[in-house]
Amino acid sequence: MVRLTINGRVVQASEGEMLLSVIRRENIDVPAMCHHEAVEPFGACRLCVVEITRQEWDGWCDYVTSCLYPVADGLIVNTHAPKVNELRKTILDLFLARHPKCTEIIELAGEYGVTRTRYETVVDGDNCILCGLCARICDRMGFHAISTVGRGHGKEIAPPLRQAPPDCTGCLSCAMNCPTNFIEYKVKKGLLTIWDKKFELLTCNKCGKETITREFAVHLSEQRNIPPNYFDTCDACHRNELAAAMGRIAAWDREVQL
Amino acid sequence: MNHDLSKLQGIFDRYPRQQESLISVLQDIQKEYQFLPCEALQETAKVLDVPLSKVFSVSTFYNAFSLHPRGDKVIRICVGTTCHIRGAALIQEQLENELKIKSGETTPDMKFSIETVSCVGACAKAPVVIVNERYFGPAKVSDYKKLLKGK
Repeated sequence: MVRLTINGRVVQASEGEMLLSVIRRENIDVPAMCHHEAVEPFGACRLCVVEITRQEWDGWCDYVTSCLYPVADGLIVNTHAPKVNELRKTILDLFLARHPKCTEIIELAGEYGVTRTRYETVVDGDNCILCGLCARICDRMGFHAISTVGRGHGKEIAPPLRQAPPDCTGCLSCAMNCPTNFIEYKVKKGLLTIWDKKFELLTCNKCGKETITREFAVHLSEQRNIPPNYFDTCDACHRNELAAAMGRIAAWDREVQL
Repeated sequence: MNHDLSKLQGIFDRYPRQQESLISVLQDIQKEYQFLPCEALQETAKVLDVPLSKVFSVSTFYNAFSLHPRGDKVIRICVGTTCHIRGAALIQEQLENELKIKSGETTPDMKFSIETVSCVGACAKAPVVIVNERYFGPAKVSDYKKLLKGK
């Protein structure tokens, strides 16, 4: 166990933990766009920057991305020091210049009082901040269907050879976790389209609602030992069934007692 | 486009079949074919057991790799700071005019490709032009005939 000070409060953390997870546990609001607990910290968006110092540093401070900075005994952290706020404002300002139409960025920048960018706006830009969270989550899901392609100005997220990715199962983990909701997908007539690949959607045999793609269901049942018929029914109907079963058990219990 | 992929096996045999061999294998494929054919990337992913997305990510990251067929002679013009100051742009213009292609393109007869690179670490010889593996420097605009030998 290590003891450190965050915004004047002494908190405990376990060895090897990163600052951001301790900060979040303390219910302190520090923004981060590229962070997800399912994957290793990456430090792409830079928004989780905090000020750190130590008693023996004699007033000297450092500014680090808290998602990548391991906790240590005696660390004194300030998550909203004036200079930290300034740094975050600059980062948000740059984001705003590059993604002027991105609602998530506009909202976050607004919280920090940045409503107009000081920099030249990128006119034909998209809303992808290139944090790579989608690709990292895809790797974590075990599909490795998409990755960063190119570098510098031309960098983008794309499937291999820029063609429909053979390893994608349409699980939608990338789209659901994109911090700027940039990854598009379409659901139409029982078909899901993402990354230019079409998937057949399973329908619930109770209520007829569309659930997950057939490929994803096959993957889950084969790789994660989930009975294949589990996916014949949607989550809501599963719960209904469970409740009904509990009702039957209760009625049966009553009968036994009588 | 179909390529003779029979040489791939020999390249794969040179390295242990693991993720760490990826760049070495790609470099050898590039050397053999002057570019990285799609089929070769797919084969590499399979043989080294690396996801195809990773192979594609690596092969698009490095400027040394090309995914498009290139000419027999690849002319690389250094446009790094030193070469730029010493007139790389003029040499580039001359060669582009002479071959009637732009940087990044290949002549229709597949003989020449022009590429620009940012510093090859030979600033003492600026401006530098590299034809396949041969370095020319300091290069002059009037050297184009020498650089385009065999045109």
